[in-house]
Parts: sequence; structure tokens; C-alpha cells
Amino acid sequence: MKRLDVDNLGERLTRRLAGRLSRRSALARLGALLVAAPAFPLLPVQRARAADAAQSKPKGTDFSRAAQTHDDKACNYWRYCGIDGNLCSCCGGSMHSCPPGSQPSPTSWIGSCINPDDDRAYLIAYRDCCGAKECNHCSCLNTDHAMPIYRPQANNHVIWCFGTQSFEYHCSMAVLVGLAQ
Amino acid sequence: MKRIAHEAAKAAASVGALLIAAALGATVWSTARAAGAAAPPVLQSETAGVTPFAGLTPHELTYSTMDGLTGGGIRIIDGDTAKLVASVYSSQYANFAWAPDHRTLYVSETYWTLGNRGTREDVLSIYGGPTLSNEGEITLPGRLISDPKTHTFALSSDGRYGYDYSFQPAPAVTVIDLHSRKVAASVEIPGCGLVFPFGERGFASLCADGSLAVADVDAQGKYTVRRTKRFFDVMHDPVMDESVADGRSGLAFFVTYDGWVHPVQLADTPRFEKAWSLEQAAGMSAATSRGGQITWRPGGQVPFAYQRSRHRLFALMHEGPPWSFEKPGSEIWVLDARSHRLLHRWDVPESAYLVAVTADAHPLLFALSQSWLWVMDPDSGAVLRATQILTPGLVRVRGE
Repeated sequence: MKRLDVDNLGERLTRRLAGRLSRRSALARLGALLVAAPAFPLLPVQRARAADAAQSKPKGTDFSRAAQTHDDKACNYWRYCGIDGNLCSCCGGSMHSCPPGSQPSPTSWIGSCINPDDDRAYLIAYRDCCGAKECNHCSCLNTDHAMPIYRPQANNHVIWCFGTQSFEYHCSMAVLVGLAQ
Repeated sequence: MKRIAHEAAKAAASVGALLIAAALGATVWSTARAAGAAAPPVLQSETAGVTPFAGLTPHELTYSTMDGLTGGGIRIIDGDTAKLVASVYSSQYANFAWAPDHRTLYVSETYWTLGNRGTREDVLSIYGGPTLSNEGEITLPGRLISDPKTHTFALSSDGRYGYDYSFQPAPAVTVIDLHSRKVAASVEIPGCGLVFPFGERGFASLCADGSLAVADVDAQGKYTVRRTKRFFDVMHDPVMDESVADGRSGLAFFVTYDGWVHPVQLADTPRFEKAWSLEQAAGMSAATSRGGQITWRPGGQVPFAYQRSRHRLFALMHEGPPWSFEKPGSEIWVLDARSHRLLHRWDVPESAYLVAVTADAHPLLFALSQSWLWVMDPDSGAVLRATQILTPGLVRVRGE
């Protein structure tokens, strides 16, 4: 019963609609969403993931219990709980900026990680940098709350380079979006 | 200068020694000929060509590479010798499948006109003939670019149709008529992904609400998509992308992160059988995603293989906490998919990410780490052969 919150109802309604609407109408809505995107970046996914995160917060995960907060070039840095790929921090960039020669994708998937310093769950946008050859430094594979590819908004196997000039994957950032609560 | 003069003197001495050795060799050779010893035959001149390819044999394994330095590529290794047999070019993030003739290879892949940019081209490339050469391409309307996923591309069991999962930008399955080499349909599957063919032309996809989308086609080639009931809890224990399905029989085993096996007979109206637990089959408590429980769980990149003739399910298993579904397996569990019993637990020399089993009467079991392939006996667990490989992405063996 705990699952019957507003976010879940919203998701079900959205899925029901998505199952009935054609791609043409879906595209029209997608177009409207893209136009309005700067006004509410990440909001729908953020809310859905916040609900998930709130449920998983009390216990934490194996990753969160061993996570650290001082070295963003290590796979166990707290924000990387769901990252799959090369850390941009090791490739000339940072957790929120792409290395020179690559460009950030406007799309991403959203995970939630617990910061061991304050024990709060934060939403993290795993955003890929694209256009340069794969960096091949600091390759990490963490899977907290990563969902299968048929639920792409929470999947770390999709190459999230939609909307860039190139689909060449270079590295992944872990951009802090805000509190998950 | 002193150093140069010294080197020059050394070089002159070396040349002198070589000349003396050559003179001595000539003398020995002349003496041998004079004594009547037979001269070795003159080596025959050669013509360069290509080794013929007679088709994928029952014990050959095909794997795609996802090596960060070499990019894509597809390789065939003979399980009886652990030797490389053939290689086919592919882009990065490609998927592939063999036609039922075991000679024609279809590769779903993506290129850009300027390498990393320019005009994008999604194609189904065709390889075959006596030397496994390129035989053209079919242009696709789009495809998903992701880390390797077995079920983003598949053929119908008779090889007439190809099914390619697209996410460009909406989820859809592109149906390709492989006889006419044309796209036959683009079937939207909102909220769903991947493709599991069944019957002559049907396919199913997994959906984000825990149901299946089932697509069936009428005589005019028009597809209709329907949703089934929800059969798994996607938020707490989702079905893994790399579940296993037997295209010929339509029997799928959708396995969850916690190791619950949902057998589904795919059809226009799928038949859902009672779920069973890998851990309970081994006499353990069922795994749960709650409470940080450390137990045996399925995991890896391609963690399951199914042997239809003996109803055996092979699963890469590791001891780990919830959300460790991509951890490689330290053991391969062999399970009877009908009685839901664990038959064997085989150790692998190094944790394995992918597993495959051949479909013939004398099967071989393959376990792949990121740099090694082990050929194993599925009945004894013995490692028969091993060879180094490039980082593997996907594996396919010959279907029977």
C-alpha cells in the first residue's frame, strides 16, 4: 500500500496513456517537452526517482556503506553508486564538466545515492560526455538502483549521447541534482 | 667522437665475422653435394587467397568484442581446439545473429559518414558465401545504441524475418524481411523494450510496468500489440535484460535480480507458469532485495544459457548483496528447468561474465571472463581448453 503514492499513480497514468497513444502524438508531446525542457529540467524523472530513493534510504546499500566523500577519482566515491563507464574526473573533466574535446549530452538517466557525511539521499544525473574516443581511465561499474534497459530512464547501459553531434562515448559525469526527499 | 670510433670498429669486426661464417657455410654445402646427399626440393610458389568458411559448426562459439582500444568486431572460436577460426568487421555496440543455414551472419550496427559524426546510418549488414564476405546491407530506420544486449536483435526461427529493437527516440521494433531485404514494419511498443520472437512472425517485449507486450501480425502484415498481465515487481525485483529465450519453442525464462525464474510460453496468448527460485533449487532460502542480504545471486553480462534438448538452465552465480546483478559468477549452476532442481555447481577458473552452451548431442559449455575463454564439459565441470580473448560483448552458438 505504501507504493500507492502520487508519483506511482502518475507513473501508471502516464504508462497507460503511453500504451494507447501513437508515436505521432507522443512525438508532438515530446516536442512540447523539449521546448519547455529548460524550464523544468529532469523534473518528471526526478520526482519518480525521489519516490524510489525515499523508500530505499533507511537501510542504504552495500555500496553506500563503503562509500567515501573525498576522492572523486575512485569508483567508491559516493555519487558513483550507479555509474557505468569512465569517470570524467580521470579524463580531464570533473563530476559536472566534460573534458575538453568532448561535449555533454543534454540527456541523462537519474539515480539516487546516499552521502555518508550527512546520510541523505541525493538525486544524481549520470550524464555522458560524447564526441571523443572512449577515455579508458577509471572504468567503474556500480549498479545501485540501476534498472533494466526496458526501463531506460534508470538504465546505465544506454549510451546517453542523444542530442549531441556525436554518439561516440567518452566518459560519464555524476551531476548533483538535489535532495531525493 | 671516441664513442663513434669504437662503434665503427665493432661494426667492422662483425662484418668480418659474417664473411668468414658465410665462406665456411658455402664450403660445407659444396662438400655435402659432392658426397651425393639429396638436395631439398624447391619450395612451391603460392597464390594468396581466403580460407573457405563452410558454416558455423556445432562446437563453434561466436562472440562480439567490446574492447575499448580495438572497438567492435565479431570472432569465431572453435570449441574443439580453442583456436580462432574467423573474424567479421562490425561497428562498436553491434549485435548479430546467424541464419538457420549457419552460413549467413546478420550484423545490426551503426556508422557515421565522418567516423564519430556526420550522417548516421543504421544498417543490417549481411555476411556469407564461401568466405564469409560482405553481401550488402539493409538500411534500418534507427536502432538502440547501448552496451551489448542479447535481445536487441533476433531472427524468426525460420530465418525469414529479423527483429531489431529501436529507441530512436520512441521504443519500437523494426521487422525486416530478410528474403526481400527490406524493412517490413516498424512496430511501436510504448513503455517496453527488447525483442523475443516466437512462432512464425510474432514477438514479445518486456515492459516497464512488469508486463509483456505481445505483437502478432495479420495476413496483410499489420501488427497488433497487446499487453499481458503484470507478472513481476519491476521496482523491487525486476526481470533481467539478459533473460534467456528459446526462439524455436517459444519458451522463455525471465529471471529476476533475486533469482526468481518466470517460465513463460510465448504465444499470442502467453502462458505464465509458476515462478521458481534458483536459490531454493539449491536448498537455500530465496534471495531478497531487502535488508542487504548476502547470498548467492545470478549476475554477469550474459548470465544464462539454456540447453533445450535436456531442459537445462546454466546460470552464472556469485555471493553478493542486492543490486549486484552485474557481478561476474564464480560458479556455474546447472539446473533442471522442469523439476526446478540444482544438478551441479561448477567452479570457473576466474569469475565469468558470459556463459553459453552448444545445442548438439555432445555439448560444450563456454565460460568467458574479460580476457579468457574456458571450454568446459557441462556434465563434469572439467575445463577442457582455454584461450585468451578480447573483452567479450555478446555470445552466440549454433541453434539446432
